[in-house]
Amino acid sequence: MPEIDVAGLGKTFGEQRALDDVSFTVTDGELFTLLGPSGCGKSTTLMSIAGFQTPDDGRIAVGGNPIFDASSRLNLAAERRNLGIVFQSYAVWPHMTVFDNLAFPLKVRKLSRKDLGNRVREVLELVDLAPYEERYPHQLSGGQQQRVALGRALVYSPSVLLLDEPFSNLDAKLRERARTWVKDLQHTLGLTTIFVTHDQDEALSMSDRVLVMNSGVVQQIGTPEEVYRQPANRFVAEFVGQVNLITGTVAGYENSTAIVDAGEGARGLRVHVDQAPQQRASLTVAVRPEALVVEPAGSATHNGSNTLSARVISVAFLGDHYQYELEASGLALTAQSPHKVGSDEVKVHIPPDACAVVA
Amino acid sequence: MAVVAKSIALPRPRRQLLPAGALQAAVWVLVVGLIVGPFIPMLYASVRDRPLYEAGGVLTLDAYRQLVSDGEFWRAWANTLQYAGLTTVMAVIGGASVAILVSRTNLVFRRVFGRLILLPIVLPPLGLVLGWIVVWGPGGYLTNLFSQRLHLGTLAIDTIPGMSLIEASRLLPVAYMTCEAALARADSSLEDAARSAGAGPARVLRSITIPMLRPALLNSSTLIFTLAIASLGIPLLLGTARNIKFVSSYLYLQWTNAAQPDPATVSAGAMMLLVVATLLLVLRNRLLGAEARYVSIAGRAGRNAMLPLRGLRWPLAIAITLYLVFSTVIPVLGLAAMSVVVVLTPLVAPWHLLTWDNWHQLGTGEFRRAIVNSLQISLVGAILATALVTIATLVAHRSRFPLRKALPFVMLYPRATPGLIIGIGFFWTYLLTWGVGSWLRGSIWGIMLAFCVRNIPFAYVVMYPTLARIGEELDRAGRAAGAGWWRTCRSIVLPLLRPAIFSAFILMFVEILCDYDPALFLVKPGNEVIGTTMLSQFIQGSVGPVAALAMVQVAFTVLVLGVGSRLFKIGVTGGHDA
Repeated sequence: MPEIDVAGLGKTFGEQRALDDVSFTVTDGELFTLLGPSGCGKSTTLMSIAGFQTPDDGRIAVGGNPIFDASSRLNLAAERRNLGIVFQSYAVWPHMTVFDNLAFPLKVRKLSRKDLGNRVREVLELVDLAPYEERYPHQLSGGQQQRVALGRALVYSPSVLLLDEPFSNLDAKLRERARTWVKDLQHTLGLTTIFVTHDQDEALSMSDRVLVMNSGVVQQIGTPEEVYRQPANRFVAEFVGQVNLITGTVAGYENSTAIVDAGEGARGLRVHVDQAPQQRASLTVAVRPEALVVEPAGSATHNGSNTLSARVISVAFLGDHYQYELEASGLALTAQSPHKVGSDEVKVHIPPDACAVVA
Repeated sequence: MAVVAKSIALPRPRRQLLPAGALQAAVWVLVVGLIVGPFIPMLYASVRDRPLYEAGGVLTLDAYRQLVSDGEFWRAWANTLQYAGLTTVMAVIGGASVAILVSRTNLVFRRVFGRLILLPIVLPPLGLVLGWIVVWGPGGYLTNLFSQRLHLGTLAIDTIPGMSLIEASRLLPVAYMTCEAALARADSSLEDAARSAGAGPARVLRSITIPMLRPALLNSSTLIFTLAIASLGIPLLLGTARNIKFVSSYLYLQWTNAAQPDPATVSAGAMMLLVVATLLLVLRNRLLGAEARYVSIAGRAGRNAMLPLRGLRWPLAIAITLYLVFSTVIPVLGLAAMSVVVVLTPLVAPWHLLTWDNWHQLGTGEFRRAIVNSLQISLVGAILATALVTIATLVAHRSRFPLRKALPFVMLYPRATPGLIIGIGFFWTYLLTWGVGSWLRGSIWGIMLAFCVRNIPFAYVVMYPTLARIGEELDRAGRAAGAGWWRTCRSIVLPLLRPAIFSAFILMFVEILCDYDPALFLVKPGNEVIGTTMLSQFIQGSVGPVAALAMVQVAFTVLVLGVGSRLFKIGVTGGHDA
């Protein structure tokens, strides 16, 4: 199974820079996710790999074989790239039965009748559609159509699998099931996969690694944990999950800890940093709402550093937790807690390790 | 996960023997060559001091100078603009009114009216004009009946306003369809909201419905104006007798009547007409671009409440009925009556003059040849043109051929091009293309080619909306699966496009069958078609057989459209609001 090597992709649509020096490597058997808001360039990247978009610069290689190279004007036609792709709309051919949909790639490859039948049935079995081979797509549910699309992309043993927002047309319940199912299938087959989505939950729960993109620029590449806990910048912090951003100036530094002044009542916040910041420099840190600790004003668990007294602006009950909007010494903070704090006056503790410097 | 499929080694998809680009380029060259090509010899002919078939000669602008200094040419332009302007006003006001009444009010029988109003475009245009003349023309049956028996005057249809009225009744469906489509696209809850806000039906029409129609009105106005400028049949049949000349008839008469045919001035005049039509087309494209901004979000959830017409429900319905009877039913009945009598006159009751002679004549000589020729070229032409347009549409919208963007404009271009210009263009082209050209010139296939080119826009506008609805991901999936461009088109896109291909074929068949003006410059004894024979025989005075011939054309048209819409559930009329 090959790895996918994308280097320096660039593409301009009119005035707009759709892709700007996009580079990444997907290792063998990995599920790699391109995550970003709509229009960020993730689909353009995927379609460039598939051969439906032609970037202006850069190189793409699969398993060491270049399939696109702007400098040498190499641009292998989509049909010769041997990649499996599942489109957002599934693109199941409506005039063909399930069997014929899966058989088409094999007919193009001129397989004998017998081999073709065997292979199609084998893959139908794999995607749990064996009883439906004579059906037409309009007789299938959305989830089943998606499995047809997946089966069709797998039937010719493509070198890699590309998934373009495949779950966005499924309802919430079905989506969860489909995610697990696709992840298991990908794992079992050990298929190198690139997955495009704008849904952070999907990205975090399925991926081996995530690439976060915005305005055609790669923001961060990392495991789901890294992207969530140590966002590389403000955009990643805000796009992947909810976040509090606290901006202040650096007042001191000792042992991987920076002392940050963030306004009148919030002086001397201790923040974990990887490298020493400049004295008096401006610093923005990101803290996840669930990392904040909210306690009644009188509680004695957290005292001293990084604990601010706060006023509750609003509380929302969200089933598995409460969400607090707090005003803490001039900072507006969002916090989550499994417990309901009775009073309006509370204390909020910001654990130094939960802070990530984003700017 | 019950089974784990082994990864099997399959052959990789191979490179196609013939690259898809070669086919795409061939189709592109053919389409552009056929549509734009014929204008080049015409342009050349207009700047030479002698006909192209004579050797020698120098380039000169004499022909243009001669035209510009000819007062009659300018009078023809003045007449043409007046005619086209009046036609546009009448057709657009009429068409838009009926569209609003049918799709937004509680008019009685509105569905029936919605279909009947389209009759003039499914009936052969030339036949309908002849019907008008037979009934309402000078010396026409009802004209005489009214003046002699009732001492009432009727509208003089051989004046510019009269001719505009006939032209407007022919083109009214174009305005109707454009407006109707715009109204169907627009969310009727916009109007409901105005009514909730306290506006009465009249106010809603004035403040919401009509302003929303503005792009459709502009768009159909431009098209109708262009088509009216290009019209040849009505000016020739009605204007010439009264010595009212129009640009189209001026050029045609120059070509045929002048003692010494002087094609250079005709080509020069045709070039000028072509420039005007092209400018109008460009203007219309701009307007269509602007129209996209007006598209409101399609919310077609519920059936909208209709604006109440109150006391006008019946009077308006009666008015539309009278219009239909006057403009369509009576002319067609007139033709039918004409075809079975010796002479149609109010002085003698028609049943004393019954005869089958007119119909018998259709079985002989020129009439028979024309029918056979027309059916042949309609069938073969419709097949060829549909095939070409189908592939060209795929190249235009589903390929990465570098010059593909030009194709939609080129394929719509003949819609704005007067038929006589296409005729002149092909005449010169055949003269200049040696063996092939002289073979085409001497056979019916030369006429067929001109008719095909003339009617390409209809096939394209039927094809394109269906293609646009076929998601592009469907063919991308085919490419990803390893199929090349042509294989993907064949196995995936074309099967899905099949209903539109059949619609386009039916429409092309009917349009070619009814077309006539490009052929006026190409026709020779032996390769007459129904339209040219109708025109020439009518001018020579054999009205009875021509009426019978027109009835044959009507019968074929209705039959083909009827069978077509039954078999393929198609809305053939869709093409005309292009």
